[in-house]
Amino acid sequence: MAFFKRPVPNTFCGRTRREFLWQAGGGFTSVALAGLLAKDGFFQQAYGATTNGPSANPLAPKPPHYPAKAKSVIFLFMYGGPSHVDLFDYKPTLFRLDGKTVDVKTKGRGGEKNQGRIVGPKWKFKQYGESGHQISSLFPHLAECADDLAFIKSMTADSPIHGSAMLQMNSGQILSGSPALGSWVNYGLGTQNENLPGFVVMLDPTGGPISGAKNWSSGYMPASFQGTVVRSKGTPILNLNPPEGMTDAVQRELLDSLQAANQEHFATRSDNSNLAARIASYELAYKMQQHAPEAVDLTKEDEKTLSLYGVDQPETAEFGRRCLLARRLVERGVRFIQLYAGGAHNDSNWDAHGDLEKNHSYHAGRTDKPIAGLLKDLKRRGLLDETLVIWGGEFGRQPTAEYAEGTGRDHNSYGFTMWMSGGGIKGGASVGETDELGSAAIEKPFHVKRLHATILHQLGLDPNHLAYFYAGLDRKLVGVEHTSPIREIIS
Amino acid sequence: MKQISPKNLPSFKLFLGALLLLIGMTPWLSAEEKQSQAPAPAKRSDSIEFAKQIQPILAKRCYSCHGPDEQEGGFRLDTEEGAFVETHSGGFAIVAGEPEESLIIERILTDDEYMRMPPEGEPLKPREVKLLTRWIEEGAEWEKHWGFRKPIQPEIPEVSDPEWINNPIDAFILSRLEEQHLQPTTLATKQTLIRRAYFNLTGLPPTPAEVDAFLRDESSDAWSDLLDRLLASPHYGERWARHWLDLVRYADTNSFERDGDKPNAWRYRDYVIRSFNEDKPYNQFVKEQLAGDELDEVTPETITATAYYRLGLFDDEPADPLLHQFDQYDDIVATTSQVFLGLTVDCARCHDHKIDPIPQTDYYRLLAFFRGLPPYAIGRKEETLLNFSQRDITSAETEQIYEAWEAEKQALRDQILPLEQKGISKMPGAAQRATEGPRREKLLAAKLDDYLNEEDWQTYTALKAELEKVESRELPPREVTLAVNGTNPNPEPTYVMLRGNPHVLGEEVTPGFPELFEAETPDFPELPGNAESSGRRRALAEWIASDENLFAARVMVNRLWQHHFGRGIVRSTNNFGQLGDPPTHPKLLDWLAYELVKNDWKLKPIHRLIMQSKVYQLSSEAREPELSLDPANDLFWRFNMRRLDAEEVRDAIHAVTGELNPKMFGPGIYPEISAEVLAGQSRPGKGWGNSSETEQARRSVYIFVKRSLITPILAEFDFAETDRTCAARFSTTQPTQALAFMNSPFLQEQSARFAERLQEEAGSNPADQVTWALELALSRLPSEEEVTRGVDLIERLQEEHSLSKEQALTYFCLVTLNLNEFLYLD
Repeated sequence: MAFFKRPVPNTFCGRTRREFLWQAGGGFTSVALAGLLAKDGFFQQAYGATTNGPSANPLAPKPPHYPAKAKSVIFLFMYGGPSHVDLFDYKPTLFRLDGKTVDVKTKGRGGEKNQGRIVGPKWKFKQYGESGHQISSLFPHLAECADDLAFIKSMTADSPIHGSAMLQMNSGQILSGSPALGSWVNYGLGTQNENLPGFVVMLDPTGGPISGAKNWSSGYMPASFQGTVVRSKGTPILNLNPPEGMTDAVQRELLDSLQAANQEHFATRSDNSNLAARIASYELAYKMQQHAPEAVDLTKEDEKTLSLYGVDQPETAEFGRRCLLARRLVERGVRFIQLYAGGAHNDSNWDAHGDLEKNHSYHAGRTDKPIAGLLKDLKRRGLLDETLVIWGGEFGRQPTAEYAEGTGRDHNSYGFTMWMSGGGIKGGASVGETDELGSAAIEKPFHVKRLHATILHQLGLDPNHLAYFYAGLDRKLVGVEHTSPIREIIS
Repeated sequence: MKQISPKNLPSFKLFLGALLLLIGMTPWLSAEEKQSQAPAPAKRSDSIEFAKQIQPILAKRCYSCHGPDEQEGGFRLDTEEGAFVETHSGGFAIVAGEPEESLIIERILTDDEYMRMPPEGEPLKPREVKLLTRWIEEGAEWEKHWGFRKPIQPEIPEVSDPEWINNPIDAFILSRLEEQHLQPTTLATKQTLIRRAYFNLTGLPPTPAEVDAFLRDESSDAWSDLLDRLLASPHYGERWARHWLDLVRYADTNSFERDGDKPNAWRYRDYVIRSFNEDKPYNQFVKEQLAGDELDEVTPETITATAYYRLGLFDDEPADPLLHQFDQYDDIVATTSQVFLGLTVDCARCHDHKIDPIPQTDYYRLLAFFRGLPPYAIGRKEETLLNFSQRDITSAETEQIYEAWEAEKQALRDQILPLEQKGISKMPGAAQRATEGPRREKLLAAKLDDYLNEEDWQTYTALKAELEKVESRELPPREVTLAVNGTNPNPEPTYVMLRGNPHVLGEEVTPGFPELFEAETPDFPELPGNAESSGRRRALAEWIASDENLFAARVMVNRLWQHHFGRGIVRSTNNFGQLGDPPTHPKLLDWLAYELVKNDWKLKPIHRLIMQSKVYQLSSEAREPELSLDPANDLFWRFNMRRLDAEEVRDAIHAVTGELNPKMFGPGIYPEISAEVLAGQSRPGKGWGNSSETEQARRSVYIFVKRSLITPILAEFDFAETDRTCAARFSTTQPTQALAFMNSPFLQEQSARFAERLQEEAGSNPADQVTWALELALSRLPSEEEVTRGVDLIERLQEEHSLSKEQALTYFCLVTLNLNEFLYLD
């Protein structure tokens, strides 16, 4: 373990960061420089097998590259691809053209088309707050938070197919094998609470998303950075509970005996810090057993709070519970939390190919109040400022119908909407536009990597510098080309 | 070379001289730098090494303006040619032997801010200037990077303590230690050695009986006999195949939404195990995998080997099908160049390699060797998977059985048909016509007896019955493997792709080896008309595995070293390029490469050589000043401790609890995965099978590798990332491992089995049980204190926690399986 050394904050080989980046420039250096620095012990490479020698906890807290606006991230993943034109991207033309066949270029599950029947949005839009954000009637509660939201209405992705698009939204690449966003964040910043995992994933009760664990894998980074699935019911973390019949006292007895033997073994090998780390990991695991159940225990929450999240209503109880859990985890220092709204396949998530009205009413209905509750709760506790909340799916949906009949829409990666809130984001802002049908981003298109750059930036990490040397290249979440955060929505 | 005097600084020479003097008086390294450099690179024959000491300075401080991307003033420092050319200003940047005449030094040292190089940032450090100056003084030799030079048969160094030497490996190691005035640590005990040898060669612990026999064997051949036994063990192949499977990104599925199965991938895994066990020469192993379908002698085995090309990711619903086709080629180029050559040619997919001399054309020339390979499949079309990636490799004997069977059936049909026709000819016209269509069989069954005489009818029914019998005969199954199939003997042209984009084509290229190897471009003879493949991959394989080449041999011996010592002589075992790590013992590395070729590329002799060295038999004990001076053990003054890897952890548990099922080969097995973990799948449980308890207790190398669902205990302990070549596993320590080891159903279950074994084999006396448990788990006799601690625990659990005797013993077993000593090798 542990080949991750960090530089002294704000000094790069004795220079200031600004100087460093200036010298680094673009082109050649962006690829190779960090790799060369790695050889100077800047970011040390990982070779895995060597266990002797100095070691450090890879999850030890690390200073950001520059002062951070956000400490934690809650990514509300609207799996399946919510229809932006029915939710936030108001297109009056679409209402007018309902049922008409128009020329429009689309690409989705059903392939590429040049023409299609417009499906008018099924919900009315209204402006909210001082910002005047247009929000459809599917989100009455969220609309109350309009001025805290910053919309990116011109998102684009490389793939309109779930498998590869999920991987891209989560890891930046359409091929599997790269670390997830949450892994990058923990690699860059370390953890603030060793008693809990730093990268938490909470799945929908209907199942995981397509590609399952690939979505929270640490890829070519060590497993210390992979996502941990936390459940809101039952045992929160895999293997957290001692087996039936093993009391706490018995477990302590076993641990004491184990640690005595391990200490004895260590005494003659005291230069091997991995042995010490393994001894410590048992105490950490033991503490995790005490802390994790407390972290997910909602009985400490008052009725008002539960109701704020909709935990008291059957429709919203499940997602509300997870949103509330997310807040509790943020309070306890968890860096990155991802909540999947929707799971499995088809209408178990936002993937509305058949009956859009039914699908989106259902998924908006069970998430609107919980999400609004989360934003309001974070705000009243003063946590929203340091918590970056992200809403969106792997892509959006087409303005036209997928089939001859019905309201179902196919996937759309040419243009879709996401929003962010808190964590140094400019509430009330909106950036980018799709065309008048909402079929493609035309004004300031933002590729997924710009979103990733923004997230890292708000956490105080330089997206163009956070690199991990692997297989001859300095790999970055945002890729080799210089990628800027979306300045328009940063306050 | 023309000498140029600086014109704008008349007193330059004087000034420079003074400055050099000044630098000369400053300490070579600051105290801090000394610290970070300890131990200094052991070699101090005192001449500057270009690749190690000069090139990094140039790369870091000069390349951004005078390198591969930009050549300001028309001048570049990343190539020898560019560095020695006359500059635009009419001078020479580098004048060999004459630092005072070299413009590069002048421009680095000038006080004139507008002239000083580099223009941005701090001036070069005095240490760096001194290195550059000395390098020029010594002749400015533009030495090729070590990894791009052919291995040279080195002389075996002399050492002052020849007594210590077991074989030449020790001479290489000891001479470096002696240069640094360091000493190797103590020798390991026989107990440590046998455990080390068992795990390193077979991935399993020795049984107490095996330990006992070895300890008793006081003959001088005891160690060598042990190595012979272990190298002959079928478990050797299981262990070493897994190292290879990591490299070739082995998995049984494709990843992406469906993560569909790769049918018959397991035959490749078995092929690798068999190849290691029979000590197939490595050059043959290379040829079979790269060109098993193009060799003179194509066998089911060599066809199976080509599954190498079919193990990568496959998206059956790609957003951009053409891009995905080239992503698949990229996977092959990346894997092939890193695994066989230790070169990251894949870094040149979009542009010239930024550091190594690998132009973008090299990437596409290498890709051109593979251009005749069709993709894994196209979308979800089953027939493309069969046509491109499955091949019938049924053995000749089985084939004969099938042929005989066909002939037998035909003979019967030949007798049946005339009888049928005889009857049909007597039927009414409508019925006759009907026998020409799909209703024939039904009609004959109902009517034929009306139109045949008794004798014919008897004969007919007898023949029909016989045919039915023959048709339903059980034959040995046909064998199908994952492999390349449907190759194109006349591959499409290959073009350079601008920025790696397959939609934007550049110049056409033909197959060729990376330039830096300075190998001749292969000739491709005219193919016979019936050729199934272009023969290009064979040309590549023969070059990689040629006796003259040795690059591949050097990469492979480094891997053998890596898996014995915990790290390669070159730590970055997949990258021998300039961004990789330099070898800590370059001569030893070259020597081993020669040894491999000398031994007909067989790996077992190299294992034997390595393990018979003294350095292999060192203990892992720390000593001073070695620990302070060389904490990373660069010089191998001791043996590196290591944690067992994922498969060893699981297999060792099964071995110790007595559950291990040694059955080899065949389709993948499915250990039970809890519902909580399966819930992470979009269709929980899909693509995961059931295996019986005894099947589940087989060795971990046989576990079905599903890319999106890695068996949790393997994932916890740093299983290889499956999606790209994995050169070295991580070795993380995490609380989730501790949770799994204390609480998971698997550990509970195995502890219970362990306890049952103890009761059966050690009787009911707790002291005997504890002793036997520790002997099984740790391969040594426990001390009295250890036995007392175990017995105390068992007693306390019963007395103070009211647990049953069995439960108490089970918990003691759980503690035993959690011991650091169980998971770490000395």
